[in-house]
Amino acid sequence: MRLSLARIAQWSLPRRLALAAFVLGALAIAGDPYGGGAVTLHPHELAAMVQKEVDHVTVEELAGWIIQGRSDYRLIDLRDARAYAAYHIPPAENVPITDLPGDTLARNETIVLYSDGGIHSAQAWFLLKARGYRGVYILRGGLEEWNGRVLHQTSPADSAAPTVQVPSPPAAPMAPATAPKKKKKEGC
Amino acid sequence: MSAPFFKFGAFGDEASLVVAFAIGIGFGFFLERAGFGSARKLTDQFYFKDLSVLKVMFTAIVTAMLGVFYLSWMGLMDLSLVYFGPTWLVPQIAGGLLLGIGFVVGGYCPGTSMVALATGKVDALFFVLGVTAGIFAYGEAWPAIQGFANATNLGELTLPQVFGLRYGLVVFLVVVMALGAFKGAEVLERKMARKEGAV
Amino acid sequence: MAILHETARLDPRTAADGKTVARREAAPYMNPYLAGVGLGLVLLAAFVVMGRGLGASGAFSSLVAWLVDLAAPAHARANSFYTDYLESGAGHPLKDWLVFEVLGVLVGGFLSGLLAGRVRRTVEKGPRISTRGRLTLAFAGGALMGVGAKLARGCTSGQALSGGALLSAGSWAFMLMVFAGGYATAWFLRRQWQ
Repeated sequence: MRLSLARIAQWSLPRRLALAAFVLGALAIAGDPYGGGAVTLHPHELAAMVQKEVDHVTVEELAGWIIQGRSDYRLIDLRDARAYAAYHIPPAENVPITDLPGDTLARNETIVLYSDGGIHSAQAWFLLKARGYRGVYILRGGLEEWNGRVLHQTSPADSAAPTVQVPSPPAAPMAPATAPKKKKKEGC
Repeated sequence: MSAPFFKFGAFGDEASLVVAFAIGIGFGFFLERAGFGSARKLTDQFYFKDLSVLKVMFTAIVTAMLGVFYLSWMGLMDLSLVYFGPTWLVPQIAGGLLLGIGFVVGGYCPGTSMVALATGKVDALFFVLGVTAGIFAYGEAWPAIQGFANATNLGELTLPQVFGLRYGLVVFLVVVMALGAFKGAEVLERKMARKEGAV
Repeated sequence: MAILHETARLDPRTAADGKTVARREAAPYMNPYLAGVGLGLVLLAAFVVMGRGLGASGAFSSLVAWLVDLAAPAHARANSFYTDYLESGAGHPLKDWLVFEVLGVLVGGFLSGLLAGRVRRTVEKGPRISTRGRLTLAFAGGALMGVGAKLARGCTSGQALSGGALLSAGSWAFMLMVFAGGYATAWFLRRQWQ
């Protein structure tokens, strides 16, 4: 049977749908629904964001969030495990920059990144933004600024037992940052 | 990408209930359009007289599967944010068998029983009461059976992972399998109709 | 390729003068493939808008959990099966997504039936079984379904359709077993239907 468009136009609707399904299925072989690890950059959009500094969070703001006991964001410490163990901002999770984007970071979450200064966190910001993450923020000044302005430390070197001016929030509201969402039953 | 819209905060929990209702209306509407408010039409599937259940189910699966695949591939939706339940292998196999038996004994499945109830079928009412009783019995037996019910959790397992094939290739194979099943169904229905006519 | 199933139903009533009067014919069913596409698009809408699939049995579970909690709260709270549904649904069925969805199914089914002239108080059964027999089996079948759906974490709409579209291995295994179970039992129940 010769497959001309005129011929196909005479087919019943289910038959044409079947053909469409077959074609779509065949084309799908080459595809990847998970984004395949590719990185898409929208240069102008990103540049504008950088200039407007919309994605910065100051250490004072973060301190305020911690005091309020907010659990609607995730604080990510980008340094290696040893530095994290020595000291980290109380609610932070350790995701070394090499592990980004990571299994546990969902694209619809609010994520605040920090490192020692601002360089790694800025680079990680680009990484996540290019992978389609929406709510990504950089802690302005990083740990250095946190130590200087919030902990009232003179140098990050004596961070072995820091005197935290910010009252430690109880662990409960902090730890399960996404727990309220996960509780919702989405099965049947 | 900003879909699934709810997961990106496009609307809240209350609005999602309105969405639920609207989606349910569409669901019930097409189920009834297909004739699935009738236990006889549904069970005819298992006597090879009317394979609409197979046709409707697999057409729906293929349609949604292709839609999800392409929207995700094009970056318009984030597949990782769509709820994906774990595979509980043994309980799901056991549950499937029970469901299949229940289908032929009862004549409906939970969704279609609602459609049948809405169109006046008294037997659907009894079916619904049965489902409620069955779930209650399950709930009461839960302490004893939860070990079994929670067995063999293989996590969020996909067919591509099981067969070690590209996701897209599995999509194609599912389409081909469905089309083959449809062709087979047409042939079978014609045969049965001819046999009935001859009798 | 498509066979339209003629379903015009004549419900002959004998008038006083002995003449039969036919009721309004019910409309023929929609082509199954087209209905399937419609259903698939509804399912796709659920994925795109909500990030979840369809369901039905979960709504029943919410109802049962709520009723048990109403009748015997201490007993319900002590059972993790019930508490699971109580907590996620914020304690009341009306706050549960699936419950609202199922209410929609009732409305949508009724709407379609109304448009097609298929709303009628009746008992669906084959010619070789009594009404009482049919209703008993309907209840029994429902109970089996209830248990099966809980074990499988869903029924045909939740597991088979939704999980199937997402290529979940468990959902496909489940689907296979539903057909297997149905075909294996069909012969034994033939008197109910054929």
